[in-house]
Amino acid sequence: MNTTVDLSTPGVAVVALEGELDASNFRALIELGQRLYADGARRLVLDLGALTYMASSGIVALHSLALVFGGHEPPDPEAGWQAIHEVGTDVAQGGQVDHLRLVSPVGAVARTLERTGLTGLLPVFDSREAALAG
Amino acid sequence: MSTAEEPVMRCGGDVAELASVRAFVRRSAAALGAGETLAGEIVQAVDEWVTNVALHGYRGGGGPVEVELSRDEAGIVVRIRDHAPVFDPADAPPFDPSVPLERRRPGGMGIHLILEITDRFTHRTIPGGGNEVTMHLATDSTGGDT
Repeated sequence: MNTTVDLSTPGVAVVALEGELDASNFRALIELGQRLYADGARRLVLDLGALTYMASSGIVALHSLALVFGGHEPPDPEAGWQAIHEVGTDVAQGGQVDHLRLVSPVGAVARTLERTGLTGLLPVFDSREAALAG
Repeated sequence: MSTAEEPVMRCGGDVAELASVRAFVRRSAAALGAGETLAGEIVQAVDEWVTNVALHGYRGGGGPVEVELSRDEAGIVVRIRDHAPVFDPADAPPFDPSVPLERRRPGGMGIHLILEITDRFTHRTIPGGGNEVTMHLATDSTGGDT
């Protein structure tokens, strides 16, 4: 999976994902988000338009990123799934979050988001422009 | 099968191999007559199970995994064998998408996706140790995709 970061909007990191997000690389995506947050980004826009596959571990990454950009203590990526699942959060309880926005999931990726209940949890936009507005 | 050799892939139960497992499954499913959408569904079901075997069955230490695709009269049949401790996915707690993410069990989402994707998903313990799961996917289950 390739990632391209655009920091041209102050306080916002736009990360475009290209390729396949699975159990081999979801931790790298979490770590990228942690670095961007540490560097001052407070909103993450994930452009999924060129992502061709997302495993359930990608859902774990999205959850972790929602935590990180919500200002929560980031889960320890080395500890893996268990730590991620043990992290307490208001992300799921408080309805939609605003600090993690998804752009144009397509095909199998959109189906995975639907099937895991993520589309009701994270805001999804048709374009980067729409995700950056408001 | 009389028309073609049944595709089998053996790997070492490592998540680093998942991309090549997916490529193998996509190729094999297409060769067995699955359309693009159905092939993508089979790819995801296999990826989720092999991930579970690698992370939870072998706990990251690796071990033999065998993925085999074939056809029956209804559609595509996938069998995945491992030598990990016995784990029947039917014993996993049922998945509820309304449950907060942090309370979901590791692996639970993967099994949920497999159950959503497949028409039938069964497990048997291999005599002498290990697991074999079988996935059935009808070739007409994706709206004339094939």
